[in-house]
Amino acid sequence: MKTLTGIFVTLGVLLAATGDATVPNGGTDFTPQFGVSSDNDAILSDNDLVQQYCVGCHNDRRLRGNMSLEGFNAERPEDNGALAEAMIVKLRAGMMPPPGVRRPSGDALQVLAASLEERIDVAAVRDPNPGGRTFQRLNQIEYERSIENLLGLDIDGGQFLPLDTKSANFDNIADVQLLSPTLLDAYLNAAAVVSRLAVGDRDAAASSSTYTNSGYTTQWDRAEGAPYGTRGGISVTHNFVADGEYEFRLALEHTTTGEYYGGTIPREQLEVSIDGERVALVDVDTWMNVADPNGVNMRTEPVFVRAGPRRVTAAFLKQHEGPMEDLLSPHDWSLADRQIGVRGYGVTSPAHLKDLVVAGPTNVTGVSHTPTRERIFTCRPTAASEERTCAESIINRLGSQAFRRPLTDDDLPALMDFYEYGSDEGGFEIGVRTALEALLASPDFVFRFEEAPEGVEIGTNYEISDVDLASRLSFFLWGGPPDSELVALASQGELSDEAVLEGQVRRMLADPRSEALATRFAAQWLRLDDLDQVHPDRLLFPDFHQQLSDAMRSETELFFSNLVREDLSFFDLYTADYTFLNERLARHYGVQGVRGEGFRKVQYPDERRRGLFGHGSILTLTSHAGRTSPVLRGKWVMEVMLGTPPPPPPPNVPDLDETATSVEGRALTTRERMEVHRSNPSCNSCHRFMDPIGLALETYDVIGQWRLRENGIPVDSQGELYDGTIISSPVELQSALLKRPIPLVRTFTQNLMAYALGRRVEFYDQTAIRSIVREAEKNDYQMSAFILGVVKSDAFRMQRAGAVADAASD
Amino acid sequence: MEFITGRHLERRTFLKGMGATVALPFLDAMVPAGRLGASMARRADPTRLVAIEMVHGAAGSNEWGATQNLWAPAAVGHDFDLTPSALLPLDPWREYLTIISNTDVRMAEPFSAKEIGGDHFRSSAVFLTQSHPKQTEGSDVYAGTSLDQIHAHRFGQDTPIPSMQLCIENINQSGGCAYGYTCVYTDSISWASPSEPLPVIRDPRVAFEQLFGVGGTKAEREFRRRTSGSILDWVTGRIAQLERELGPNDRERLDRYLQDVRELERRIQTVEARNLSGQERELPEAPAGVPDLFEEHMKLMWDVQALAFASDVTRVFSFKMSRDSSARVFPESGTDRPFHPASHHGGRESAIQDFHLINRYHVSMLPYFLEKLKGIQEGDTHMLDKTMIIYGSPMGDPNLHNHRRNPLVVLGGANGRLEGNLHLKAPDGTPMSNAMLGLLHRLGHDDMTSFGDSTSELGLGRKV
Repeated sequence: MKTLTGIFVTLGVLLAATGDATVPNGGTDFTPQFGVSSDNDAILSDNDLVQQYCVGCHNDRRLRGNMSLEGFNAERPEDNGALAEAMIVKLRAGMMPPPGVRRPSGDALQVLAASLEERIDVAAVRDPNPGGRTFQRLNQIEYERSIENLLGLDIDGGQFLPLDTKSANFDNIADVQLLSPTLLDAYLNAAAVVSRLAVGDRDAAASSSTYTNSGYTTQWDRAEGAPYGTRGGISVTHNFVADGEYEFRLALEHTTTGEYYGGTIPREQLEVSIDGERVALVDVDTWMNVADPNGVNMRTEPVFVRAGPRRVTAAFLKQHEGPMEDLLSPHDWSLADRQIGVRGYGVTSPAHLKDLVVAGPTNVTGVSHTPTRERIFTCRPTAASEERTCAESIINRLGSQAFRRPLTDDDLPALMDFYEYGSDEGGFEIGVRTALEALLASPDFVFRFEEAPEGVEIGTNYEISDVDLASRLSFFLWGGPPDSELVALASQGELSDEAVLEGQVRRMLADPRSEALATRFAAQWLRLDDLDQVHPDRLLFPDFHQQLSDAMRSETELFFSNLVREDLSFFDLYTADYTFLNERLARHYGVQGVRGEGFRKVQYPDERRRGLFGHGSILTLTSHAGRTSPVLRGKWVMEVMLGTPPPPPPPNVPDLDETATSVEGRALTTRERMEVHRSNPSCNSCHRFMDPIGLALETYDVIGQWRLRENGIPVDSQGELYDGTIISSPVELQSALLKRPIPLVRTFTQNLMAYALGRRVEFYDQTAIRSIVREAEKNDYQMSAFILGVVKSDAFRMQRAGAVADAASD
Repeated sequence: MEFITGRHLERRTFLKGMGATVALPFLDAMVPAGRLGASMARRADPTRLVAIEMVHGAAGSNEWGATQNLWAPAAVGHDFDLTPSALLPLDPWREYLTIISNTDVRMAEPFSAKEIGGDHFRSSAVFLTQSHPKQTEGSDVYAGTSLDQIHAHRFGQDTPIPSMQLCIENINQSGGCAYGYTCVYTDSISWASPSEPLPVIRDPRVAFEQLFGVGGTKAEREFRRRTSGSILDWVTGRIAQLERELGPNDRERLDRYLQDVRELERRIQTVEARNLSGQERELPEAPAGVPDLFEEHMKLMWDVQALAFASDVTRVFSFKMSRDSSARVFPESGTDRPFHPASHHGGRESAIQDFHLINRYHVSMLPYFLEKLKGIQEGDTHMLDKTMIIYGSPMGDPNLHNHRRNPLVVLGGANGRLEGNLHLKAPDGTPMSNAMLGLLHRLGHDDMTSFGDSTSELGLGRKV
């Protein structure tokens, strides 16, 4: 209260404080007195508590936070579940009443939250609601994984399917997976292309595929997958559709005035290799210019390549080993400055491969055996009479795998009709290919239908079938289709057995495919995709580049994956004194003794980094290009970790970038600029939550490196958390948050559940979440406890029949 | 290309899926009942739009060049002489030509000290938006909604592809552009909204496949189309089964899916019917990729656009004919000075004349397209009459990086809303957006009251 300013008075303190209420002293033995309306306000009823401490702001007139508790009955919170759950979130986070506003002392508010929860949970037992959703469709990445699973073919889903719409952080939320003729056409087209790639295409017409290096890629180091002894370039797996001649075109980076970039290294050679074997070596003409007829491009002679997936690399031959010293030490990002790459003395700048184009085939000689063909053609008819039987066995096998269930009596004949149609056109292989095309375009592949009991009444709950449960499980834990063991158990009706189910979950978590929980679930929950949106200022951070950014992402994913595989505690996300680093990232963090490209578990040498808050990924994705953003960092913690997103800024708020950057010739620190910005009271009401959190992380710069000074001025990272705790370092922030673990654990569970279910978590799911968290607590918050909790929940195993609005319908 | 976020990619990849559909000119019978509604009748045949950007302004925008009429002819009205002008190649097409001279693109000018000099990296984003781009290297890009997208939003929704964006030069010069501008400002002239620059297609093969379906040959495309048809047939049967198997949560969505299947079937059937009746538009073999020669590349891009209009797959194109700072040489133009260096002619008369040759060469690419459009018969008229082609530059005198007296011409009949054979000279200081507001009105957006930084509408002559 001592920092109370005028605005907080008007915010309703006076309204809330009725009379001279002495604050009840709720000790540990405090028991809520239900329904007691007493003159003695040492013991207030829940409704009185709400009246005294909440309604002052949250009433019909003031509607603070767009919420009114005027008619709210704390004795029957289940009558207004959505509102009650919203209250619980804020109370559990300790954010309400807001800082500076009078609060009841002791744990009265926590007890209020607990009793609201209890009443809701008791009511939920009487009328459980597992919720419901419509069917999901394969999104880009699930499509990729399904194709890889079915055909062993590595494709880029983004080449065929639209970018997935996200809802509640995730890309698999059923009701925003819109359908349209164009989308349907996209799946048809993908089916046509993928089936041809899989079987090979003797009639393929020449076309070209372009692989582009991000401009943020550095070309100093060997590209992943490229042969040793090379530097930079592009290395990809390309699916060659037929045996034939292919040409490789190489576009190099040039300066803004059109000259070849990298003229300071006199003799460069570009090697094109296929599966590690050199097929061409091109001398780079360092005098190339965009003005030349061929521009800054080169090409190889046509090269004969056999069909199938092959590692194609175009990379520069490495001319020297060891550190580079020059008049100016070269920066890590080889393209940070495009001007010095021309012909300057004393600054070595390496050439940069921009595009690799694979063009062809021409002079097709046939289609060789490829791993995919071997997987498809498990039998080979030697006479025409054997063809149909062989085709039938192939299609039956591929079909049940594609449909994630045994084929029905209707499926197989229909698919065989496609075989006949295709084989009439071009023989056995084309027949199989056409049936495959039909399979891949079929709604049973593209959608994940879940059967409902016949004639189920709207509003009733039913258990989903074992076969559907198998798919839910595998898409949750593996991000892809179920394997034969799951499908077999499901077809025998055994999967829904509690013990079998738990056994399968544990088996699946031990399987390497469970890395999907890190790369799909955690990556989306933690917003790692945002890392690609941040391009730290090239002049301030010339050592930041794509590979470093990728390493940061890998660190976080490996860290989470390790939690799952080793079944560690959820709280390691906050407290872990270890992480996963490779040499480049270790150097970035100043950690000694890590050599090589591979990641390994590394102990932090000191207390500067702990858990996720020390990860470069999180720190970078919450920064601006040229400065850190305590606001974004605070907002990230509030949204992602605490589940209490701050409201968007009101309109007409000046950007921080528009506040002065210096005073009397002295550059201000980010903190100082923020303080100028925060002098606006309407900003301050939210920023006092966000900013102290972010300020505690100010000792990490834009790219997550430890710093003690900013613009030459010592970093002041001290702030007052919304609960009054003074925090000034990442570790203090972490322990302040851990004082109230409930919001952290529940937010995680809620996200896990949304991802597992493919729908947004609603207020009626909170009962299940609380129960999962209680179980997890008994198991020391091990990751498996959360995962099993979700899998065993009604929401995961059941469905409420009801007309769920499809976001597509208008 | 890191700037392709969210919806942009969605659209781009949607387009890739256009598969085996070649839609045909709009017929009432093709409208599924209740989907498009009666309002469609009014705009059953909206004006096709091609918005072309040429970078680096023109020699005629230079003070001396203007006195020599290197771009705008001396006379206004109908009796203008194009002999000295870069527009000379359009003389045979003057009945379809409207020259709008002397407009300025003020939104491309620097607004603050740190924006000075960044004209090359900012201007393209201004051309069709007439809005001043926010200087940023991050993802928080902001310009305006572009003219072509305004048209596509309203009139492009009934074709399989609402609009398509094409270019000639390699885009996304990586590593950020310069002067604190992200490359999307330099690469994208089409903006679906102020924060949504659209990606651009350079490879005519990619454009072709998005428009007409995948497959190198006509036979291959036909086989694919037939296969897709049979698959859809089978899917329809399967949906009937699913209606019984699935729960109430899914039925509405399944119905939606069935509608989509029907819509695709309809598209395929109309193509098939057209093939049977022998009226199919001749589609050439799909182009193999990006050719080396500028002129060849240009012709393929014109072919793709003309074909798309002929088969009514889309009605809106934007086409970026070059890229700022491009140092490409155009030997056929008569000078071998690279484009960007030539544009910095230093005000020397001979150098201005050199640059002028390049301008004229670029303009000489247009008649091929005009010829193509005129050859597409549409009832008793032809496609050129139904099309508006905008050709202009957001730069004025490139030597000074100024944005005054910018090149702007309009071609085509615009469904009878442009009279042609007209040179309009705007009063000094008129923003180009005033002319564009006029053009938008002629395109059918009569309710628009402003565009970009427009101050009023520039009169564009008699509506025929």
